[in-house]
Parts: sequence; structure tokens; C-alpha cells
Amino acid sequence: MSTDTKTARAEWGTRFGFLMAMIGAMVGAGNVWRFPFVMGQNGGGAFIVAFVTLLFFIAVPGLIAETAFGRYTKKGVIGSFREVLGPGGAVGLGVVVVMVNIALMSYYSPLIGWTMYYAGHSLLFSFTSAGFEAEAFMNAFFANSALMIGLHTVVMATVAAVLLLGIKRGVERIVVVAVPAMVISLFIMVIRGITLPGATEGLAFAFSIDWVYLTYSSTWIEALGQALFSTGLGWGIALTVGSYLREYDDVPLGGGVFTAIGESSIGILAALAIFPIIFAVGVEPDAGAGLAFVSLVQVFPEIPLGGVIGIMFFGGFFLATFTSGLVITEVTVTTISEETRLSRRGTVLTVCTGIWALGLPSAYSVDFLDFVDVTFANWGLPLATLCILFAIGWVMGPERLRHLAVNRNAGIHIGSWWDPVVKYLTPTLLVFIMGYFAYDQFGSDVMIAGMVVLVAFPVAGYAIMSVADGGRQTSTAVDAPGGDD
Amino acid sequence: MTTLSLEALTMLGFTLVAFYGVAGWALIRTLRQEGQKVELIEGQGRVDTYSPKGLAALGKWIDAHPDDPYAEEAREQYNECVEALQTIDQPFYDWSDTEIKSLDRK
Repeated sequence: MSTDTKTARAEWGTRFGFLMAMIGAMVGAGNVWRFPFVMGQNGGGAFIVAFVTLLFFIAVPGLIAETAFGRYTKKGVIGSFREVLGPGGAVGLGVVVVMVNIALMSYYSPLIGWTMYYAGHSLLFSFTSAGFEAEAFMNAFFANSALMIGLHTVVMATVAAVLLLGIKRGVERIVVVAVPAMVISLFIMVIRGITLPGATEGLAFAFSIDWVYLTYSSTWIEALGQALFSTGLGWGIALTVGSYLREYDDVPLGGGVFTAIGESSIGILAALAIFPIIFAVGVEPDAGAGLAFVSLVQVFPEIPLGGVIGIMFFGGFFLATFTSGLVITEVTVTTISEETRLSRRGTVLTVCTGIWALGLPSAYSVDFLDFVDVTFANWGLPLATLCILFAIGWVMGPERLRHLAVNRNAGIHIGSWWDPVVKYLTPTLLVFIMGYFAYDQFGSDVMIAGMVVLVAFPVAGYAIMSVADGGRQTSTAVDAPGGDD
Repeated sequence: MTTLSLEALTMLGFTLVAFYGVAGWALIRTLRQEGQKVELIEGQGRVDTYSPKGLAALGKWIDAHPDDPYAEEAREQYNECVEALQTIDQPFYDWSDTEIKSLDRK
């Protein structure tokens, strides 16, 4: 790695900026519309015990590893893989991570458009107007493909506008305001919710303990999925955000403990915000779009200050999804700008246009979006995580990374217990959960699409990097064990 | 109207401590550490990069893996921290004078 590259690279302006970027990236729609319901459906308190256990044993060590890897290499995804693997086709594993991020953002952008649309209508007090029908409104919205495509276009244009300003002036400026604003919005909603008559039923749904759920495999699988996927572990986000850390910044305390626990705290906040209100009004709890766009919307006219609470909820929800989209896109922008001769401006415009084009089918059809979402959530994202864990755990080695990057300038000391967690435990659990998905969806279209992703992405990545790194192989691989410098 | 059972209340309390307590502790601790580091760097130009535990573990690893491809980089980082400790007045980590005096370059 050349000194020039290091000094030319942007850095977070403040520690707070880095932390908010991590939280902003990891907190998304799942925290708001999935986590509370999953928690209530899986034994409430018992689920929390399982989830906290897995967060500390899997998500925290994993995020520490990924952030430290980016901080160590000070490069984007492909550059980081090349650093430890040496140039060649195997760097294609990094391409897999980038391709998964592009696919993820292609269907996440229309979803951000949904939250933007509802946030806009909350400002117009549409949900509390006379004769408003939540389900009919949502169905009409989902059927309006032109509007969906328009919103997707606005989202990608806004993401591009922020990213054009760069890491410090663009991403950091947005997240240091948006993430606290999202937390404050949900907190105001919590206060409103728990002061409503009948709110305790919602708290009982979420926090009553049914210990028998700890003996059910489904509880642990849900908790494992939440711990692995809600934290964004192994998607290249922590790697990219970590690569912009300053020389004296810590990794394990901020990138690991604060990110994993803080990110999950938003899910708990959402549960505290949503269920007291839902139960106070007597609406059935739900998950996904049904919870956010029907159940909650039905509730707003029924409660005092419902219009304002609607603004708080959808404002916070939009910020949660938008900041995620921003940083997910940055993963590709950082990598492509390093790997090509394009300027940052050219990269941002190329990447955002590409994602916009790929996202058109998801914007056009909600059914297509659902299909791609399930395919990538179950297969694409775990594949990306396995690629990153392979590079860290089996190529560079966790012990080396711990000594060279994790414990350097660290706020807390990480001992040798961490090495087998990163090398064996987390990948094993990930393979297990993918096996469970395969068993659960055996023979379905989603599983077939998932298998195509599992095979085609690594093959394409290998082919791309074999060609792209062809010239580098002979000149640097010999004298650069574990890296290209 | 449902009232919350003691068990549910306890779980609510545990959840608040486990999530907001830990996240709040981590946030305050890391921001304070950043403040301390910035102050030290502004005052003395540099700061120690490893805790006593971290540097001891790094030193042990270097001794055990002298020919590792990453050993040279590890030595540089080890020596950088030792030099910093020997030149600065106030370390960031909890180093005693005796510990600093006993350190040698690798």
C-alpha cells in the first residue's frame, strides 16, 4: 500500500461522524417494520435473551473484524481483497460483495421511495384526513408504477447529490443530523404511545417472557438471522466505513460494540414506539409493509396528536432507510473509484445511474421487488458475508488482524477468544442458516434464483478479476505476500 | 386493561440496560477517548498506540512468528509504540513508568 494512497484518502471528520455513519447504514426498514413483530411472535423476552446472546457472540466480533479489515487496508472492497489475496481471479470474491451491494441497492431504492412518499403524505396530514382508507391508499400506491419509478428516480438522484459532496462534506454531514433525528422521532413516538390508555398491552406483547421459546429452534434461527442480517455484517459496509477511519481511531468499541448494540437498540425503540400505540387502539400487529403502511396508518386518526406522530414515524422511517441507502451505495462508489480511472464525480454518476437502471423492475412491480428481496436476503447477502469472513478468517487470519489492526488504538482490548469466533463460529452459523433456508424453500423459485446467485456471482467475479488483474499478477505477487504493495 | 407482570417489567428493565446501557456506555467512552487522544496529540504531537496488554500480546506474537509475512509490519508497529512511549510525557493508555522503562524495540 503506498503512502500516497493513504494520505490522499478521505477520512471521517469526527468520531461521532463515523459512529453515525455505521448506525445510519445498519439501521434500515427491518429494524422498524420487522424486528418488533418478530420479537413479539417469538416469546418476547425469551427472544431478547437469544438475540442479545447472539449479538455479543456473533455480531460484535464480526463487525469488529470487518471494520478492522477496512481500517487495516484503507481500501474499498476489491482493494482490500487484493491486499490479502494478491492480484488475480480470487479477488473476484470482492467483486461478489460489490455485485451484491449493487443488487441490494437496486431494490432498496424503490423501498426508500415508499417511505419518502409516506413521509410526504404525513406532512400533508393525509392519514388523519376525513374518509382516509389506509389499505386502499397503499394498494393504489403500489399499483401506480409511474409514481414508483418517479420516486425511485428521486431517491437515486438525491443519493447521488449527497455522495457527490464526498465522505466528509456529504455522507457525514447527513448522518450526524439524520440519525439523531430518527432516534428523537421514535422517542417522541414512544412517549406518546406509552401514555395512551391500553398501551401496556403492547408492552406485554413485546416484553412478556415465554421461556419455552428458548427451546424452539425457530426462535434461535430468527434471532440468528436478525443478529447476522440486521447488523449488515459482511456486506462491505463496515469495511468501507472503517477504511475512512483516522489513524488514531479505535475499532472494537465503536465499530463493534456500539454499532451492533446501538443498531439493535433502534429495533427495541421501534417496538416501544409501535406496539403500545397499535394495542391501545386495538389494531392487530403485523410485520413488513402491512405494519407500517396499514396498521400504523389506521391508528394515527384514533389518537390525540396522531398527525404529528405520523410525521415523527414516517420522518424517522424515511431517514432510517435513506441513510442506509446512502452508505450501501458508497460501498460501490468507493470501490469503483479506486479500481478505475474514473473521478469520484464520474463514479458516483455511473454507479447511481447503473443502480437506477437495475432498480426499474423493482420500482415497476412490488412482486418483483419482493422476489429479489427474498432471494438476496437469503442467499446474496450471506454469500457476501462468507466472502469477507473467508478473506479475514482464512486468508489474512484473525490473529494477525487482531494484533495489527483491532487492538491498535483500541478503546477495549480484544483477547484471543475472538480468533475462533471469526474463523470458525460465525462462518459455520452462516452456512447453517443458509442450509436452513435451502431446506425451508427447497424447490421454490426463490431457492432456484438463490442457487443461480451462489454460482453465477463468484464465477463472474473470478472472470472479471482474472482479466482486470491479469497485468498485475506477475509484477507484484511474488514479493508481496498477503498484499499488493 | 392488561397490567404488566413483574417478569415483563424485569425484562423491560433488562432490555433497556442491555441495549441502551451498553450502547450509551460505549458511545460516551469512545467519544471521551477521542477527546483525550486529540488533547494529547495536540500537546505532545503523538500518542501511544497500544495498551500494555495489547503491546505484550503483539510482542509475544512477533517472537512466536518471526518469519511470518506480516512480522515486519508488526515489528514496525511495535517499535512505533515503544518509541512513542519513550518520547511522550503522558501516555493515553494506563502505562506505568516501570513498564515503559522495561520496553525494548523488536
